[in-house]
Amino acid sequence: MLENLKIDISEIDKIGKFTKQEKEFRVKNLDFFNEKGLPNKKDEDWKFSDLRQIVSKNFKKLDLKIEGSKNENFELIKDFDHNHIMIVDGRLNSTNFQFEEKEKIQIKKFLNENFKNKRERNPLVHLNHALANNGYFLDVADNYKFKKVLVIYNIFTKNLNDNILNIRNKIKIGKNSELHIFEIVINRSKKNFFNNTFDTIDLEESAVLKNICINNEKSSGFFHKFRKNRLLSNARLNSFIFPSGPKFNKIDLEFNLEGKNSECYLHGASYIDQNDHQEIKTRINHLAPNCKSYQKVKKVLDSEGKGIFQGKIFVKDIAQKTDAYQLSKAILLSENSEFDSKPELEIYADDVKCSHGSTSGSIDEDSIHYLMSRGLNRKEAIKLLVNGFLNEVIETIKSNSLRKYIQEKFESGFYEYKKH
Amino acid sequence: MLEVKNLKATINSKEILKGLDIFIKPGELHAIMGPNGSGKSTLANVLSGKTGYEISGLLKYKGENLEEIPIDERAQKGIFLAFQYPTEIPGVNTSNFLKTSLNKVRKARGEKELDTLSFLKKIKVISKELGIDERMLSRQLNVGFSGGEKKKNEILQMKILEPNLIILDETDSGLDIDALKTVANGVNSSRDKKKSFLIITHYQRLLNYIKPDFVHVLANGKIVKSGSMELAEQLEKTGYREIS
Repeated sequence: MLENLKIDISEIDKIGKFTKQEKEFRVKNLDFFNEKGLPNKKDEDWKFSDLRQIVSKNFKKLDLKIEGSKNENFELIKDFDHNHIMIVDGRLNSTNFQFEEKEKIQIKKFLNENFKNKRERNPLVHLNHALANNGYFLDVADNYKFKKVLVIYNIFTKNLNDNILNIRNKIKIGKNSELHIFEIVINRSKKNFFNNTFDTIDLEESAVLKNICINNEKSSGFFHKFRKNRLLSNARLNSFIFPSGPKFNKIDLEFNLEGKNSECYLHGASYIDQNDHQEIKTRINHLAPNCKSYQKVKKVLDSEGKGIFQGKIFVKDIAQKTDAYQLSKAILLSENSEFDSKPELEIYADDVKCSHGSTSGSIDEDSIHYLMSRGLNRKEAIKLLVNGFLNEVIETIKSNSLRKYIQEKFESGFYEYKKH
Repeated sequence: MLEVKNLKATINSKEILKGLDIFIKPGELHAIMGPNGSGKSTLANVLSGKTGYEISGLLKYKGENLEEIPIDERAQKGIFLAFQYPTEIPGVNTSNFLKTSLNKVRKARGEKELDTLSFLKKIKVISKELGIDERMLSRQLNVGFSGGEKKKNEILQMKILEPNLIILDETDSGLDIDALKTVANGVNSSRDKKKSFLIITHYQRLLNYIKPDFVHVLANGKIVKSGSMELAEQLEKTGYREIS
C-alpha cells in the first residue's frame, strides 16, 4: 500500500488554519508529492537509496498524528556549560540561554514564511512544504558572539509509532556573529518512525557557525534531512556530522556560497552496521569568487551495512579562484557490507582548484599484524584501527570538552565489531 | 630460548624457507646475514607469527611449541619483532598505543597494569636514554615519521615491553649514522643474561656497533654457513656470491 503512497488533501486542514496563500502553497506541494510519490531508484538522486522500497518493507502505515502523550525524562549533559534548545518529536519544547544576552537572540516556533511555488528535485521537500507542522526559528542579531555552545536536544519519544514527522527549522546568524551548535539526537522510540526535516541556515556577512551533529544511538528511526545552507561574503560554516545509528538516514546538504571569500567545511565520520542504510549527499554551489569548500567523509561498514556518498561540486563561471576539495573514504569490515560513491564536478570557471577522490577497501592486514605483534588480539587491533580511522575526523574538533564527550559517545556506538 | 629445526615456510605455493636450523641460548646475540630474496624477512615474519604461511618443522620458544600460538600471544610471551617497515596507523596516538600494548603484555605476565602517571614516567626515562624527542610520542603512530624516527620508535617499544627474544628485521636499512647509533645503543643497553637477540641484516654495518656472538649466512632459504664476527667481516669483503 505504501508503495503508492498518496496523501489526502484533508490532512492539511488537520494541521491547522492557514491563510489562503499558505493553503494554496501546501496544496500545490502536496499535488507535486502525490504526483511522484516516495522516490525510488529510478530517480538519479535516489539511485542508491530506494526509499519507496525501504518504506514499504518497514512500514505498514505512516500516520501524521501522534497518539499517546507519555513524558520522557532524561538528563542534560553535565560535562560542559551550555545553552540549550529542547525539541520533542519535532516540537519546540523549551529553551535556555542563561549564558547569553537575551535581547540578541530570538527563538520561536517556525513554520514557513516563503510561499514560492517551485518544483523541487526532491519529492520529500514537497511533502515537507505541504505538511510541516513543527520546528523552530533561531535568529541571532548582528555583532554577537555566543559565549557558550548551544546544545540542541532532539528527542524522539515512545509516543511515536509508525508516524511520519515533517519538521522545518531555520537558523539565521547576523553579520559578524558567531555561534557553535551541538545537536544531539536522543531516541527513546521503540517503534519505527520517519522523520522528514527541512532546515535552512543563513549566514550573513562574516558570520561564523560551527555545527556538530551526532545521531549515533541505535534507533528504529528513518531519517531524511534536507539542509540548505546559504553563506554571504566572508561567512564561514564548519559542519561535523556523526550520523551512525538509525536504520535509515539520508542527509542531503546543499551549500550555497553566494558571497565572495565565504568558506564551508564538512567533516563526517560514521560506523554503519547491522543492515543500516546511510547516505550522505552534498551539493556545493560555488557562486562567487574566492570561496573555499572542503569535504571529508569517512565511513566504516560492517555486517550488512550500506553506506553511500554522493557529492557534487558546482562552480559558476564567475566563481574564479575557487578552492574545492572533496574526499570520501570507506573501510569495509564484512563481505556483506556495501559502499557506493558518486563524486561529480561541474565547473564553468577557468581559474579554479578542484579535487575529489574516493577510496574504499578492507582493513589493512599489515596494520593488524603490526598491532598484534605488540600484544593486542585481532579484535582489539581492528577496533583500534577503526577508531583511529574515524577519530581523525573527531580530532579536528577544537573544543576539548566537546571533543572528549563526542569521542566517548561515538565509541559507545560500535556494536558489531564484537563479532570479529 | 629459541630452537628451530628443519623449518620450511611456503607462501602462495612458493617455498621460501627450505629447512632452516638455528639454536639460540639465553643471553646470546645472533646475526643472520643474507642477500636479497634469501628469506630473511620471511624468517622474521614466521617467528613473529604472521599468518598466511604454510609451515613445517620444529619451532620452539622456551621449550614451548609455537606452531599454534597466534601473533599477539607470542608478543605477550616475550617475542618482539622490530619491523623493517613499521606500519603507519592514522588516528592512533603513539603514547596511548604504547600504554595499551604494555598493559596487555604486563597483564599476560601476571603483572599489575600501569596507570597513566607511572607509564609516562617510565616512557620519559626510556626516551631520554635513547635520545628520542618526546614530542614524537604525542603524534599519530608512525604517521609522517622519517625512516629514522620509525626505527627509533621500534627500539623504544622494545625497551618498554621488555621482551625475552628480540628479532630485528633489517632495522639498519636506510638509517643515517645517528639513528644507527641510537638503535645500537638501545640494543647494547638491553643485553643481559636473560635476553636473546636475532639481528637480521643485509650489511655488516650495524655489526660494527652491536657485537654478535654468532653470525649465520642465510641463502636460498637455508643457513649455509655459521661462524663468528669474522664471517661478517669476510662477507663484507667478498660479497654473498662466494658463499651461496
